[in-house]
Amino acid sequence: MKGPDLYTIRRRVSGRLLLLLCLAMLFACGKDDAQTGIVFAVGGAPSELAAWEKVVRKFEAESGISVRLLRQPANSQQQLQGLMVAMKSEQENPDVFLMDVAWVGLFSAAGWLEPLDNLDQGPFFQELLQQTDIYEGALMAAPVYLDGGLLYYRTDLLEAGGLSAPPQTWRELAESAEKVQELMRPENPDFFGFVWQGAQYEGLVVNFLEFAGASGGIQLQNETGGVRVALEANLEALRFMRDLIWDYEISPPSTYTEMQEEEVRTFFQSGNAMYERNWPYAWALHQSDDSPVKGRVGIAPLPAPEGDQSVSTLGGYHIGVSKYSDRKADAKKFAAYVTSKEAQWMVVLELGWNPGRGDLYEDEALLERYPHFGEFKDIFRKARPRPVIPYYIQVSNVLQTYISGTLARNRSPEAALARAQTEIDSLEKRYREEAP
Amino acid sequence: MTSLSRLIDRLEDAVVRRTFLEKEHVQAVFFMFPLMFFILVFILMPVLGTLYDAFMRDVIFLEKEFILFTNFRYLFSDPGFWNAVRFTLLFVLISVPLELAIGLMIALVMNETIPMRGLLRACVLIPWAIPAAVSGRVFELIYNYSYGAANWLLRVLHITTEPVNWLGTEIGAFAAVVAADAWKTTPFAAIILLAGLAAISEDLYNQARIDRAGFMTRFFKITLPLLKPVLVVTLLFRTIQALRIFDVIYVLTGGGPGGATEAVSNFAYKYFTAGDFGYGSAASVILFLVALLLSLFYVKMSRFGEGVSHG
Amino acid sequence: MGEETLKKILLTGGAVLTILFAMLPFTYMVATGLSTGADFLQQGQDYGFTLSNFATILFAESSHFVRYMLNSIVISGIAAVISVFCAALGAYALTRFQVPGGAVLMLIVLAISMFPPVSLVSYLFKFMTWLGWINTYQALILPYVAWTLPLSLWILVSYFKQVPLELDKAGLIDGASRLQILVKIILPVAAPGVFSTALLAFIFAFNEFLFALMLTTDFTARTIPVGIALFQGIHGQIPWGEIMAAATVTTIPVVVLTLIFQRRIISGLTRGAVKE
Repeated sequence: MKGPDLYTIRRRVSGRLLLLLCLAMLFACGKDDAQTGIVFAVGGAPSELAAWEKVVRKFEAESGISVRLLRQPANSQQQLQGLMVAMKSEQENPDVFLMDVAWVGLFSAAGWLEPLDNLDQGPFFQELLQQTDIYEGALMAAPVYLDGGLLYYRTDLLEAGGLSAPPQTWRELAESAEKVQELMRPENPDFFGFVWQGAQYEGLVVNFLEFAGASGGIQLQNETGGVRVALEANLEALRFMRDLIWDYEISPPSTYTEMQEEEVRTFFQSGNAMYERNWPYAWALHQSDDSPVKGRVGIAPLPAPEGDQSVSTLGGYHIGVSKYSDRKADAKKFAAYVTSKEAQWMVVLELGWNPGRGDLYEDEALLERYPHFGEFKDIFRKARPRPVIPYYIQVSNVLQTYISGTLARNRSPEAALARAQTEIDSLEKRYREEAP
Repeated sequence: MTSLSRLIDRLEDAVVRRTFLEKEHVQAVFFMFPLMFFILVFILMPVLGTLYDAFMRDVIFLEKEFILFTNFRYLFSDPGFWNAVRFTLLFVLISVPLELAIGLMIALVMNETIPMRGLLRACVLIPWAIPAAVSGRVFELIYNYSYGAANWLLRVLHITTEPVNWLGTEIGAFAAVVAADAWKTTPFAAIILLAGLAAISEDLYNQARIDRAGFMTRFFKITLPLLKPVLVVTLLFRTIQALRIFDVIYVLTGGGPGGATEAVSNFAYKYFTAGDFGYGSAASVILFLVALLLSLFYVKMSRFGEGVSHG
Repeated sequence: MGEETLKKILLTGGAVLTILFAMLPFTYMVATGLSTGADFLQQGQDYGFTLSNFATILFAESSHFVRYMLNSIVISGIAAVISVFCAALGAYALTRFQVPGGAVLMLIVLAISMFPPVSLVSYLFKFMTWLGWINTYQALILPYVAWTLPLSLWILVSYFKQVPLELDKAGLIDGASRLQILVKIILPVAAPGVFSTALLAFIFAFNEFLFALMLTTDFTARTIPVGIALFQGIHGQIPWGEIMAAATVTTIPVVVLTLIFQRRIISGLTRGAVKE
């Protein structure tokens, strides 16, 4: 072939340069835009994000540190996965994020959290801090809002169910719900007595713990350090949960396939249920102007199993700073701001959340606006956290599978619980075993 | 272009001089290099890495330790693992023959010269071209208890009076997964079988027609026997692919209800996201070994089949 | 002619059933995307036509859909191009040079394409973490190239085999190098095959799920399949209308490509799986 002429050379060189440029631009597109601030990962409903926007703007105005909100999926399992991938791959973003309280144990044990030594621990509920946030003496996370399971009920239908006050035991609840459902069904065939979170996710375990009461749950054995779930109270709870759907028939069959927080809330809010088990966030939404049940909703502590004490599972989100953040000082400042009175007031006002700061529960102005905060301060202080063990997620996965299987009537409660215990024991053994 | 090839040429000559290999061999190596690089670094290395990891206690909150077969020991006594194995095998056993049967029927129709042929081909390809995660969500809606199309169909055709809780029962969820996966993979089987059908000589059919053989006889005495090698090969190929199912289950059932539809891939993934990489790797190694065995068998069969199909 | 009419009936019936089988879910998806509520099949509910779902996913600030689309197209496009290029080089070597163990290599590559993705993903994750490439384009492009290579190689080998060696010889006589022969002679001649290969590689990369799920953490590099699988929408409860709208928009390029190039796709697939 003849040698290339000048024209061809020019064409080829420019062609190659263009290609290189395109590739370079595309790689650049694939990377994060250069940030001068910190990245705050937070998930949830759009009303929550709007509230966070306000908090963030105030912080930026006061501190001069810019904050970028990174929106996470509303599904908590996916939030967890997103955070875990980021932590495991030692990403610098997000710098600061919200974690479900159930994950704090894992994140601390995995060494992913930067101690929040700039925070004053005083204003918080000490028992809760000790149980969840303090790891090896250092404060690894701080509560942004507290959550405890609550019972919502229709005040206008309580009498029809034969009660003058909210039910004290689960049996009372079932019986009154049955009565109301019978009453309402002729005109409203979609009405169900009791809606709760039964889909196969963490919320299922949360509900389960509440059905089981104080003598049930996931008990940490001090001697072996292991976890025990094969308890009589748990068996009763499983039976009851199954019966709610298939025997009493006061909970819809979609409970164990679809019902998570929002599905339950919208179901109750549309006027189709007597009782609802949900977190405090639902209150504000039920009382909003376009809610069909506005003014007809009451809240109460959850019922207890016969002869036992009622348990409200501790929920809520805590704020943590990533150990791999490239702007730790700024991130810690932001964490401190989020747990300051000012910011906490904002989330309370905007979202009706229970603040993580204990001292706000004595605040006069707050109590005037949200009188029920005073009532439930004790509930939340006594709310029971899930066991703070590093492998809690795996225990929860096992429980979710077997509880869901029981609800789907694939297994008997006895078999399910026994198997769950076996798998959990095996899990623990595997983690404890010494290397050969 | 020319300067690049001249550069490569010079490199090749240098290698030839140094190693006294044939120039052609050196050129072959150069040409094969990019391909081998990608496969080595992004497929072989990760597989070996996973294998290595399966022998480690690799948990995010524990010290990383070499524990040899401990993960496997626990895996084999883990009812969750065997549940996943059982489901995966059952899934493969039922969905693959089903796909092939339906695929064969579709291929038979597409093989004929009918006016709608082009439209047919295009329609058939569409399910295959859609991402499994997307079709998973569509089927999630189809199987919705309250307003999904499946229950609507059953109601409208008066087959049931109560809505069926598809995703809430073991059998319903299984059927849902099989249907969702079959929708996507049957077109692939159909296309391969179509090629096999097209390879059968028309003369054989003409001869059979002269001999007054009806089309059922033609099908069973000519089509099926000659199609057998392709059927076997496709069966094996689809089996290996079906073993690694993940997308549809992740989206459609999440392994539920109660773990009834959890495949081995999903089982391993669950442990990855809980931070236990060693255990998850062990499970995926088992799956890999089974797939490897079957694919070696497949390779052997297709070599064998090649000679036969042109007989 | 009873038998002929029976056959016609069966054929037409079969064709109709096939079309229904393939298109019903697809139609349902589009219909839901265009409706005000996903529950239009429920007793007592009506169908309301609206474009708002599409508007939301395309234009709402919190919707990253357009970004996912961009990511997917760019990542799959680049991966397909590189894959075809590397496969072309390899296919040329395998069909023109006497590569020792060439046939065995092809079979090994075939076996490799059967590996379950789950057995690769955890290590790929660690590898990408170590490189600092999590949540970037390259984290997905490079594995996708490797992932689509076996298929690309098989298809191109089958096409290249059909290109007569005389063309090579003519080029060699003219003093061209092997690389020049490949690029200037073979590729243009096998252009339809090359195009089929690129198309198939694109589709496979576009539809891939597990790697994208584990190697990306947010919209920066996330692809469409993962975006749609994790789609939460704006209202808490599963927003079927929006998901189906997103699914529809996703499938549009794929469907268009499929409709136009169906012949190519089919010939590529059959060459890749059934050896000629």
